[in-house]
Amino acid sequence: MLMRTDPMTADMPSVASDKIRPAVQLDGVTKRFGDSVALHEAWLKIRPSEFMTLLGPSGCGKTTLLNLIAGFLEADNGEIFIEGALVTETPAHMREIGIVFQNYALFPHMSVAKNVAYGLTTRGVEKKEIARRVEEALALVKLSGFADRKPRQLSGGQQQRVALARALVIKPKVLLLDEPFSALDKNLRGSMQVELKQIQRELGVTTIFVTHDQGEALSMSDRIAVMSAGRIRQIAAPDDIYRRPADRFVASFVGDASVLNGRLVARRGDVAVVSIGDMSVNVPATPTAGVAIGDAVDVFVRPEHLAVTPRGASGSLPGTVTAQVFQGGHVDLYIDAPGSARERILLRSPGIAALSSCPVGAEIGLTIGSDDIVAFPPGEAP
Amino acid sequence: MNTRPFLGWFVSPAGLVAVGLIAAMLAVFQYSVRAYIPGTLEVGGFTWANFEAMLRPLYALAFWNTVLLCFETALFTLLLAYPLAYALTRTNSSALRSFILIVSVTPLFLGEVVRTYSWMIVLGNNGFLNSLLLKLGLLDRPLQMMFTAGGVVAALVHVTMPIMVIMLAAALSHIDRNYEKAAESLGAGPIRIFLTITLPLSMPGIVAGFSTAFAWTFSAFATPQLIGGGRVATVSTLIYQLGFSSFNFPFAASLSIIGLALSLAVIALLKKAASPLERMAGTT
Repeated sequence: MLMRTDPMTADMPSVASDKIRPAVQLDGVTKRFGDSVALHEAWLKIRPSEFMTLLGPSGCGKTTLLNLIAGFLEADNGEIFIEGALVTETPAHMREIGIVFQNYALFPHMSVAKNVAYGLTTRGVEKKEIARRVEEALALVKLSGFADRKPRQLSGGQQQRVALARALVIKPKVLLLDEPFSALDKNLRGSMQVELKQIQRELGVTTIFVTHDQGEALSMSDRIAVMSAGRIRQIAAPDDIYRRPADRFVASFVGDASVLNGRLVARRGDVAVVSIGDMSVNVPATPTAGVAIGDAVDVFVRPEHLAVTPRGASGSLPGTVTAQVFQGGHVDLYIDAPGSARERILLRSPGIAALSSCPVGAEIGLTIGSDDIVAFPPGEAP
Repeated sequence: MNTRPFLGWFVSPAGLVAVGLIAAMLAVFQYSVRAYIPGTLEVGGFTWANFEAMLRPLYALAFWNTVLLCFETALFTLLLAYPLAYALTRTNSSALRSFILIVSVTPLFLGEVVRTYSWMIVLGNNGFLNSLLLKLGLLDRPLQMMFTAGGVVAALVHVTMPIMVIMLAAALSHIDRNYEKAAESLGAGPIRIFLTITLPLSMPGIVAGFSTAFAWTFSAFATPQLIGGGRVATVSTLIYQLGFSSFNFPFAASLSIIGLALSLAVIALLKKAASPLERMAGTT
């Protein structure tokens, strides 16, 4: 449903996405615990049916943000809207939000069916209707026939499915997932991610997913909000986050990156030219806006953007292979290039050719074979 | 090779205590099946007469009264201690937490006799409570509280509170707060959350606390003796009377044996009755 005259969005800049009423909207939400600011003026708009991930290291404020949306915490400043309605002061049990907790929090004294039915019982849904919807929800998570089990009789993966069914059966306005995969072993995690994403797309439920795992974030999200130290650093689609990180923190937290010493040579509109040794690359101009021509910048390079060439090839950086890690489908090379970087450079070479062509100690040349390079003003490691 | 070389030494004090206890119990049992010879501390030959005498209404009534008294005490203690234990585990204010701990646990450090005397001051006909109620005009003559079962229960509840608060708080603090958050997110208000989540999950603590309070009260002596003043007959006051006023050691011993058996039986029964509740809480 579109509400073009929604007062919440009427005076916003008229970008296309703003015409749609956000499923969840945070306007400058701040949360303090004593003297420390857990969340600093968070501004966020989540579109209906969107899968939004809050990504960041522990203590970055992502769980605080989730608890604020759920209603378990009260904001000190700012407003929260769910489907256009102001809910900043609404108690949690009236927000109609589904939550899957990290430890699932299935009620241990109730059967699977009773767990799933809980949210319907509180809403006074008729008994027959409850039975039907519980069955439907259990079928959705492929647990038909488990209705009479107790949570402790289920495996971790099954418990998670029950938790998901319990959260979805109430047809929540928003589904909140609090690191739901962290308790699962690695194999199960992958298949549960695929399944969860499938269910989410099928139902079109707006989802907010909290994780510190950048792999999970990149593979599942429509958009990612990268957070650190109580602030949202960047909100963008996964590939934008990866290719065009907004700052040093995002560049180093999401994906692997090596930092090369560069120098700003010129600026042409949106593009800045940076030289690294004999090589020159184009980077987006915005992040280096404050740097004068001729000054140093830090260039962030992804391991797959680097390639090996013979030593001395024109436009290459000299380096020495210090370690070789065989990863199956690719080979990771760690390269010392004292003139170009303070730390070892990681290079990801597809296939297995590098195993024999670049032994440890080999003196090689490095080239950058991509346009997705970013540079930031020099600073400490993020 | 002995992998636990000091185990024997560590266990030996407990073993000594156990040997002493068993010896004492056997001595009591031995007395209970001897004949009473009035006017002397000597006992006669073997007899079951002491146990047969217990079927007389006077003694049967004492047993029934004691069970009732214990039940009432355990129930009222539970009802009063639960909110305290709940507040203790749920408050964010450390001042309130300290206050509850001090109020509920320090009585444990005063002896039962001291606490009972303070209750006598409160409950007496010219005591604190009566003078207060008379002054407020709520009563026109003093209410008899001393020497009544009600007075005994009130004092026993106070004596039993600390242990109940501690046991309930332990159970409540072990409930994962995410259960309550999950229920809240599913639309349950505070009362429903308490009735459907917190209360059933604290059931093991309730059963343990209730049984302990029951057993604790069953063996209480000073409080029923002083506040009951001989007009509230319980098993322990009866044993005292028979043993140290009439010097009828054999009958006192048989009362002790039956009292012990009865309290064990009641606790076993409680445990049995509560097991569906505990199963419900998912602990067994």
